[in-house]
Amino acid sequence: MEEYNSGSESSFHSEEADSIVKECIEGVVGNDDYSQSSVNKWTAGIVERCLTQLVKQGKPYKYIVTCAVMQKTGAGLHTANSCYWDTTMDGSSTVRWENRTMYCVVSVFAVAIA
Amino acid sequence: MDEDQTEEETAFVVDEVSKIIKESVEATIGANAYQHSRVNQWTTSVVEQCLSQLSKLGKPFKYIVNCIIMQKNGAGLQTASTCFWDNSTDGSCAVRWENKSMYCIVSVFGLAI
Repeated sequence: MEEYNSGSESSFHSEEADSIVKECIEGVVGNDDYSQSSVNKWTAGIVERCLTQLVKQGKPYKYIVTCAVMQKTGAGLHTANSCYWDTTMDGSSTVRWENRTMYCVVSVFAVAIA
Repeated sequence: MDEDQTEEETAFVVDEVSKIIKESVEATIGANAYQHSRVNQWTTSVVEQCLSQLSKLGKPFKYIVNCIIMQKNGAGLQTASTCFWDNSTDGSCAVRWENKSMYCIVSVFGLAI
Protein backbone atom coordinates (compact mmCIF):
# COMPACT_ATOMS: atom_id res chain seq x y z
CA MET A 1 0.00 0.00 0.00
CA GLU A 2 1.59 3.26 -1.01
CA GLU A 3 -0.80 5.93 0.19
CA TYR A 4 1.69 7.82 2.35
CA ASN A 5 5.34 7.59 1.52
CA SER A 6 6.63 9.71 4.35
CA GLY A 7 8.40 8.44 7.44
CA SER A 8 5.04 8.10 9.16
CA GLU A 9 4.64 4.71 7.53
CA SER A 10 6.71 3.24 10.29
CA SER A 11 4.63 4.65 13.12
CA PHE A 12 1.34 3.41 14.41
CA HIS A 13 -1.83 5.08 13.07
CA SER A 14 -4.25 5.07 15.94
CA GLU A 15 -7.17 6.59 13.96
CA GLU A 16 -7.19 3.63 11.60
CA ALA A 17 -7.12 1.24 14.52
CA ASP A 18 -9.98 3.14 16.21
CA SER A 19 -12.26 2.74 13.24
CA ILE A 20 -11.37 -0.93 12.84
CA VAL A 21 -12.15 -1.55 16.50
CA LYS A 22 -15.50 0.30 16.40
CA GLU A 23 -16.63 -1.73 13.42
CA CYS A 24 -15.64 -4.97 15.10
CA ILE A 25 -17.49 -4.14 18.32
CA GLU A 26 -20.62 -3.14 16.45
CA GLY A 27 -20.41 -6.21 14.29
CA VAL A 28 -20.22 -8.55 17.27
CA VAL A 29 -22.32 -6.88 19.96
CA GLY A 30 -24.32 -4.16 18.18
CA ASN A 31 -27.65 -3.69 19.91
CA ASP A 32 -27.63 -6.80 22.07
CA ASP A 33 -28.35 -6.57 25.78
CA TYR A 34 -25.84 -7.78 28.32
CA SER A 35 -26.20 -11.52 28.74
CA GLN A 36 -23.93 -13.55 30.98
CA SER A 37 -24.18 -16.57 28.76
CA SER A 38 -23.07 -14.69 25.65
CA VAL A 39 -20.47 -12.36 27.02
CA ASN A 40 -17.66 -14.90 26.83
CA LYS A 41 -18.36 -15.40 23.15
CA TRP A 42 -18.53 -11.64 22.58
CA THR A 43 -15.20 -10.75 24.12
CA ALA A 44 -13.50 -13.59 22.25
CA GLY A 45 -15.23 -12.58 19.02
CA ILE A 46 -14.30 -8.92 19.36
CA VAL A 47 -10.61 -9.54 20.03
CA GLU A 48 -10.28 -12.09 17.26
CA ARG A 49 -12.04 -9.93 14.72
CA CYS A 50 -9.97 -6.87 15.60
CA LEU A 51 -6.76 -8.84 15.41
CA THR A 52 -7.62 -10.31 12.02
CA GLN A 53 -8.43 -6.88 10.59
CA LEU A 54 -5.24 -5.37 12.00
CA VAL A 55 -3.02 -8.14 10.69
CA LYS A 56 -4.62 -7.76 7.25
CA GLN A 57 -3.05 -4.31 7.06
CA GLY A 58 0.22 -6.12 6.51
CA LYS A 59 2.34 -3.77 8.64
CA PRO A 60 5.48 -5.03 10.43
CA TYR A 61 3.89 -5.08 13.90
CA LYS A 62 3.13 -7.49 16.68
CA TYR A 63 -0.34 -6.79 18.13
CA ILE A 64 -2.04 -7.22 21.47
CA VAL A 65 -5.78 -6.63 21.66
CA THR A 66 -7.64 -6.62 24.97
CA CYS A 67 -11.34 -6.25 25.55
CA ALA A 68 -13.37 -5.74 28.73
CA VAL A 69 -17.17 -5.92 28.72
CA MET A 70 -19.02 -4.76 31.79
CA GLN A 71 -22.70 -4.78 32.65
CA LYS A 72 -24.17 -1.37 33.51
CA THR A 73 -25.24 -1.51 37.12
CA GLY A 74 -23.65 1.60 38.51
CA ALA A 75 -20.40 -0.04 39.58
CA GLY A 76 -17.23 1.94 39.06
CA LEU A 77 -14.62 0.62 36.64
CA HIS A 78 -11.15 2.03 36.11
CA THR A 79 -8.49 0.82 33.73
CA ALA A 80 -4.90 1.95 33.26
CA ASN A 81 -2.14 0.92 30.87
CA SER A 82 1.53 1.54 30.98
CA CYS A 83 4.04 0.57 28.29
CA TYR A 84 7.78 0.18 28.16
CA TRP A 85 8.69 0.31 24.48
CA ASP A 86 10.04 2.39 21.62
CA THR A 87 7.92 5.53 21.62
CA THR A 88 8.82 6.48 18.06
CA MET A 89 7.54 3.32 16.44
CA ASP A 90 5.11 1.66 18.83
CA GLY A 91 1.66 2.85 19.72
CA SER A 92 -1.68 2.05 21.22
CA SER A 93 -5.31 2.97 20.86
CA THR A 94 -8.21 2.54 23.27
CA VAL A 95 -11.87 2.66 22.28
CA ARG A 96 -14.67 3.04 24.81
CA TRP A 97 -18.04 1.98 23.52
CA GLU A 98 -21.41 1.54 25.21
CA ASN A 99 -24.98 0.65 24.57
CA ARG A 100 -27.99 0.59 26.87
CA THR A 101 -26.89 -2.31 29.05
CA MET A 102 -23.13 -2.57 28.87
CA TYR A 103 -19.78 -0.87 28.44
CA CYS A 104 -17.04 -2.23 26.23
CA VAL A 105 -13.41 -1.06 26.41
CA VAL A 106 -11.03 -2.32 23.75
CA SER A 107 -7.30 -1.54 23.68
CA VAL A 108 -4.96 -2.26 20.83
CA PHE A 109 -1.19 -2.21 21.34
CA ALA A 110 1.13 -2.34 18.33
CA VAL A 111 4.80 -3.08 18.82
CA ALA A 112 7.13 -2.68 15.85
CA ILE A 113 9.19 -5.59 14.72
CA ALA A 114 12.78 -4.46 14.34
CA MET B 1 27.11 -10.67 33.36
CA ASP B 2 27.86 -14.36 32.99
CA GLU B 3 28.78 -15.78 29.62
CA ASP B 4 26.80 -18.86 30.60
CA GLN B 5 23.37 -17.28 30.55
CA THR B 6 20.82 -19.91 29.73
CA GLU B 7 17.72 -19.29 27.66
CA GLU B 8 15.84 -18.58 30.85
CA GLU B 9 17.60 -15.27 31.22
CA THR B 10 16.00 -14.03 28.05
CA ALA B 11 12.64 -15.81 28.23
CA PHE B 12 9.40 -14.51 29.68
CA VAL B 13 9.11 -16.19 33.07
CA VAL B 14 5.46 -16.24 34.07
CA ASP B 15 6.01 -17.01 37.77
CA GLU B 16 8.41 -14.17 38.25
CA VAL B 17 6.09 -11.71 36.57
CA SER B 18 3.10 -12.99 38.51
CA LYS B 19 4.95 -12.38 41.77
CA ILE B 20 5.84 -8.83 40.73
CA ILE B 21 2.20 -8.13 39.91
CA LYS B 22 0.90 -9.49 43.21
CA GLU B 23 3.38 -7.44 45.20
CA SER B 24 2.54 -4.26 43.29
CA VAL B 25 -1.19 -4.72 43.78
CA GLU B 26 -0.89 -5.52 47.47
CA ALA B 27 1.42 -2.62 48.12
CA THR B 28 -0.92 -0.18 46.39
CA ILE B 29 -4.41 -1.27 47.34
CA GLY B 30 -3.83 -4.01 49.92
CA ALA B 31 -6.45 -3.51 52.57
CA ASN B 32 -8.16 -0.41 51.14
CA ALA B 33 -11.84 -0.25 50.34
CA TYR B 34 -13.04 0.94 46.93
CA GLN B 35 -13.05 4.73 46.81
CA HIS B 36 -14.02 6.52 43.64
CA SER B 37 -11.78 9.47 44.40
CA ARG B 38 -8.65 7.36 44.77
CA VAL B 39 -9.06 4.62 42.23
CA ASN B 40 -7.50 6.66 39.43
CA GLN B 41 -4.35 7.07 41.48
CA TRP B 42 -4.36 3.35 42.37
CA THR B 43 -4.54 2.06 38.81
CA THR B 44 -1.74 4.42 37.80
CA SER B 45 0.39 3.39 40.72
CA VAL B 46 -0.15 -0.34 40.13
CA VAL B 47 0.89 -0.14 36.48
CA GLU B 48 3.85 2.10 37.18
CA GLN B 49 5.16 -0.08 39.98
CA CYS B 50 4.79 -3.24 37.90
CA LEU B 51 6.53 -1.63 34.96
CA SER B 52 9.48 -0.39 36.98
CA GLN B 53 9.98 -3.79 38.64
CA LEU B 54 9.77 -5.46 35.24
CA SER B 55 12.28 -3.15 33.63
CA LYS B 56 14.62 -3.77 36.56
CA LEU B 57 14.73 -7.43 35.50
CA GLY B 58 16.96 -6.22 32.70
CA LYS B 59 15.59 -8.60 30.07
CA PRO B 60 15.44 -7.66 26.38
CA PHE B 61 11.66 -7.14 26.37
CA LYS B 62 9.13 -4.44 25.63
CA TYR B 63 6.30 -4.55 28.19
CA ILE B 64 2.64 -3.60 28.26
CA VAL B 65 0.91 -3.56 31.65
CA ASN B 66 -2.85 -3.28 31.88
CA CYS B 67 -4.80 -2.85 35.14
CA ILE B 68 -8.55 -2.92 35.72
CA ILE B 69 -10.14 -2.09 39.06
CA MET B 70 -13.84 -2.69 39.50
CA GLN B 71 -16.11 -2.05 42.45
CA LYS B 72 -17.97 -5.12 43.72
CA ASN B 73 -21.62 -4.50 43.28
CA GLY B 74 -22.92 -7.49 41.41
CA ALA B 75 -22.08 -6.32 37.90
CA GLY B 76 -20.66 -8.84 35.48
CA LEU B 77 -17.26 -8.18 33.95
CA GLN B 78 -15.64 -10.21 31.21
CA THR B 79 -12.22 -9.53 29.74
CA ALA B 80 -10.39 -11.19 26.85
CA SER B 81 -7.15 -10.59 25.04
CA THR B 82 -5.53 -11.99 21.96
CA CYS B 83 -2.02 -11.53 20.65
CA PHE B 84 -0.28 -11.68 17.32
CA TRP B 85 3.37 -12.24 18.18
CA ASP B 86 6.20 -14.70 18.25
CA ASN B 87 5.06 -17.66 20.35
CA SER B 88 8.53 -18.86 21.11
CA THR B 89 9.82 -15.67 22.70
CA ASP B 90 6.84 -13.59 23.83
CA GLY B 91 4.53 -14.22 26.76
CA SER B 92 1.84 -12.86 28.99
CA CYS B 93 0.64 -13.18 32.55
CA ALA B 94 -2.68 -12.15 34.09
CA VAL B 95 -3.42 -11.94 37.80
CA ARG B 96 -6.88 -11.62 39.30
CA TRP B 97 -6.93 -10.17 42.80
CA GLU B 98 -9.82 -9.17 45.04
CA ASN B 99 -10.66 -7.90 48.45
CA LYS B 100 -14.02 -7.23 50.10
CA SER B 101 -14.96 -4.20 48.02
CA MET B 102 -13.20 -4.51 44.68
CA TYR B 103 -11.67 -6.68 41.99
CA CYS B 104 -8.33 -5.93 40.40
CA ILE B 105 -7.16 -7.60 37.20
CA VAL B 106 -3.62 -6.96 35.98
CA SER B 107 -2.21 -8.28 32.70
CA VAL B 108 1.39 -8.04 31.63
CA PHE B 109 2.49 -8.71 28.04
CA GLY B 110 6.19 -9.13 27.27
CA LEU B 111 7.45 -8.93 23.70
CA ALA B 112 11.01 -9.88 22.92
CA ILE B 113 13.09 -7.32 21.16
